[in-house]
Order: sequence, then structure tokens, then C-alpha cells
Amino acid sequence: MDIEELHATAELAQLVLSDTEAAALSEAVTQMVDYFARMQEIDVDDLPPTTHALLTRNRVRPDAVRQSAVADALLERAPDLEDRFVVIPNVL
Amino acid sequence: MKSYWKTVLTGGQDLDEYRAAVQDRNRELGAFLEFDPTRCAASTPDDAVVDGSAAAERVAGLPYAVKDNIAVSGFSLTCASRMLDGFRSPYSATAVRRLDAAGARPVGKTNLDEFGMGSATENSALAETHNPWDRSRVAGGSSGGSAVAVAAGMVPFALGSDTGGSIRQPAAFCGVYGLKPTYGAVSRYGLVAYASSLEGIGVLAADVDLTEAVFHIIRAEDEMDHSSIACPRELLDADSSAATDLRIGVLGGELGLDEVVATGYGRTVERLSELGFSVTAVELPTLEYSVPAYYTIAAAEASANLARYNGVRYGLRPDYAENPEELVRGAREQGFGPEVKLRILLGTYVLRSGFQEQYYLRAQKIRTAIRSDLARLFESVDVLCMPVFPVQPFAHGEAGLSPFQQKLADRFTSTANLAGVPALALPVGVERGLPLALQLLAPAFHEHRLFRAARVLEQYAPPATPPDYPPLWVKAGVPG
Repeated sequence: MDIEELHATAELAQLVLSDTEAAALSEAVTQMVDYFARMQEIDVDDLPPTTHALLTRNRVRPDAVRQSAVADALLERAPDLEDRFVVIPNVL
Repeated sequence: MKSYWKTVLTGGQDLDEYRAAVQDRNRELGAFLEFDPTRCAASTPDDAVVDGSAAAERVAGLPYAVKDNIAVSGFSLTCASRMLDGFRSPYSATAVRRLDAAGARPVGKTNLDEFGMGSATENSALAETHNPWDRSRVAGGSSGGSAVAVAAGMVPFALGSDTGGSIRQPAAFCGVYGLKPTYGAVSRYGLVAYASSLEGIGVLAADVDLTEAVFHIIRAEDEMDHSSIACPRELLDADSSAATDLRIGVLGGELGLDEVVATGYGRTVERLSELGFSVTAVELPTLEYSVPAYYTIAAAEASANLARYNGVRYGLRPDYAENPEELVRGAREQGFGPEVKLRILLGTYVLRSGFQEQYYLRAQKIRTAIRSDLARLFESVDVLCMPVFPVQPFAHGEAGLSPFQQKLADRFTSTANLAGVPALALPVGVERGLPLALQLLAPAFHEHRLFRAARVLEQYAPPATPPDYPPLWVKAGVPG
């Protein structure tokens, strides 16, 4: 994978790469993508895809309001709070 | 063994001795990122969800370690990442709550490859972990800290997580038992997500009895995990006593093992026949496609799961950002290590428009082929036997295996994750001063077959402990 394509992918992944990092990652990503080409050797065209090995149905629970005992504790873990709102930089 | 740990946890001098002994060993080995045996010693079980069972009786009063990507209320939950350094969990994973209820006590959080991504625990951003058999070598990974904590006698058992071999491979490298349960048998609630369709919480322990007892306690359907699956009723209490009436299929052919591992594997297979098992050689034609399919799917799922680390609600936030976009990018640039960035990039790439069919969809079809391959084998054998890893514990750093070589070496472990079936790594001897191991696989929810076979081997040759680190309960002179 060339550096340009790597940066395009990094952009999608919300990653910023330094030049040194990009060089090292480009090599490592290319090595893996080349290796993935091995998957073309096996004929699986007629097989259905497996998304989960054992799940046969989606599990849901009733859409009902419940009290959470950890809501406050989770909020406390935000880097910056104002009342019960998480603060982030202004959108300019 | 049990009575000593119970004594230790009642407090007083014994507890101090225990703490000091673990801390001494931890300075040499780096198993724990955080260790505090008093924090949970006095806590009251949350719910009496487990009581009176033989398994609960077996683990009551025992201290245990928890991989630091599994939530334990009041302890750190760093995933060995700068992104979550200093983060403390406000709640406990379902598996931990069930152990609480059974009377076991978490005493610390163990080191791992960042977010579970690695095979040597060398991708931790927070600490170095060493193999107790030879400290110049790696512990395996990603549950390396948990494996070392058990192997070096610091705790009798530990929880780990296994996405492509992350319990079994470090268990093999450190000479302990490592169980990756059937997918969905143990709730993932409280396990920090990496590759959701492949991973699960499992057990590392010093003997088969304890491995099984802990598994029985943490196994449960859980409404907090949409992918949890109830074990079929008729298999819940299936006989797991030692027995040789099992048909074992032994993976043959050119396996690409190094000489020492190949010799050890051959010797153990011969021993299976001598012990009375019905042994047949089998082949798994899809095996060579496991690793590319596994890394395609794992990276794709990782790229989605790790999108949540954006510096907003929790985790690392850069000191300065002009706007939200810069905030997100700054957090991810500073917070993630190279291996995590690699897998996010790979995952993003294989999911890009135009590439999905070539990579992700193809990997999912290969996953179907692997499941069929195993299902076919399990029609004629009860248990499948194969190596865990092609080499013994390797040296730290550049003298060891490269990151790419480590990935290729996941070929024996990733199959069980792709198929969702249970697998157990068990110690089968020591060669050149390092442990040798074997892996057994069974059909979904047939963990009892793994225990039946493992017990026979355990009786024949009980696992050895590293010469420098005899179990602390023996050192303290308290009879088991």
C-alpha cells in the first residue's frame, strides 16, 4: 500500500500519522494485505458468510426504562464536565 | 492449597506476607499492573447467584487475578493502553460478579498486549512481562500477565480473554491450563471490546479441577450480553471425570513446528494411544486459511470497536485542541500504540467501499468453510488434538519472532475462535527448561470432553512449576 492510500485510510480511521510512523505502518499494512491475498486460493464462492459462529438470532430485551446505578460514576470519568454535560472544545 | 489461601484472605500477618511475596515476584516478572489483596477481601458478595455448588465450594476464599481488559469495580481498567491509563472501572464484569458471589476474591489486574492485540505481551504500553521459566523470554500473549500470575504461584487462577489464542498461547508458554470456552458460554459484559464475534472470557489455572470449577461458575446466559448463549441443559452437568473412552483426532501432516515442539507433540500423541485413547490422524484442509481470515475479521471488528476512543467521554484527552475533530485525532494519535494503529488501519482498509468483497466477505465465507471442516471432523472424533504454537517461548525483542511471524503462528489457535468451539491448552512436559503444551478442541458446549481427556494426562504427568517460583502456598508451609 502506498503512502497516499495509507493516509486516505488513516483519515477514515481518524488517525494522524507522523512520517516515520507512516513509513513503518505502510510496510506492516502492505505485508498483511499481501498475505490476505492467500484467501483467494480457496473456492468459497457458493458458501454463505458467517458473521457469528453460533448466534442464530438477535437477542433483544424489552424496551423499558431502568435505573442505572453507575450513571454518575460514568459521568465522573469524563475528562471535563459542566453539571451533567461532557465539555468538549468549541465548534468553530 | 485452598485452606492456605482462605487463611491468607482472613487478614492479619498472613495477608501481609502474601502481599510482600507477590510484590517481590512481580518486580521480577511484571505480571500485575495493579495488585491489592485487601481491596476486595472484605467485600460482600453482590448476589447469591452461585451457592452451594461443588464449583463454588472449590473456589470460595481463593484470590484470583483479572486481565486488565475485564472490568472489576474499583480496580484499574487500562487495557495496557495509554488511552485508558488511570481509568478505574465503576462496575464489574458478569464473570467477576459470579466469582464474587461464589466467594472468590480479585486481588489485582494483569498486564496484556494493548487491547488484547499481540502474542507476547510486548505490546503493552504500561509494563514489561517476563516468562517465569526464563525471564529473558516472553510470557506469550495477550493474557501474558494472567498466565505469569498463575505460573509463578501468585494466584491459583486468573481470568483472561481469548480472541485468537490469547488465553491458550500464554498458558502454553507459562506451563498452566488455559481454557477458551464456547463462544457465548461466558458473558462478555465487562470485557472491553476488541473483536466481538471472536472473543470471550476464559480461565487460566494451575490444575484441571480449578479450571473446570471456575468455568462452571462464570458460565451463564446473561441478558447484559446480546451474544450470550445458554448451555444446552443436557450438557450442563455432563460427566467430566477422567476417561479414555474418547476418540481423539490428532492433527497430522506438515505442521511447521520447530524441532523441539515437533518432538514433544509426537511424544504426547504416542502417549495418548498408550494411555488407552482411540487415536486417529486427521487433517484440517482449511487450517492454512485460518490466520488470514482471522486477521481480516478481527481487524475489521477492531476498527469499529475502537472508534469509541475519541477523547470525549473518557480516556486520554489531548491538552489542547482547536475543535472536536482535532480533539478526536489528538486523543487517538497519543493514546494508541503501533500495533493498535496497524490493526485499525487494516480493518478500515478491508471494510473500505470496493474492497469488502475481496477481504471481509471472503473471510466470512472462509469462516463458514472452517466451521464445516470442524463439524465434519467431529462426526468421527470426540476431541481434536493439535499444537498450540509452533515454537516454545521466544526471546524478548528483536531476538524473538517479528510481529508478522507472531501473527502467522496463530494458525493453531485462531481456528477455535472462528468456529466458536471450546479449546483447552494443557501443559504436557518441560523441554530445555521451557514448558511444552498441547491443545484440545471439542464441539460447542462440550467442554466436559476437554476436561475428561486433560484429567487423564494430568494424572499421568502432573504439570511442573518454574524452579524459581514454587507456589506461595507451599513456600508458606501450609498443607493443601
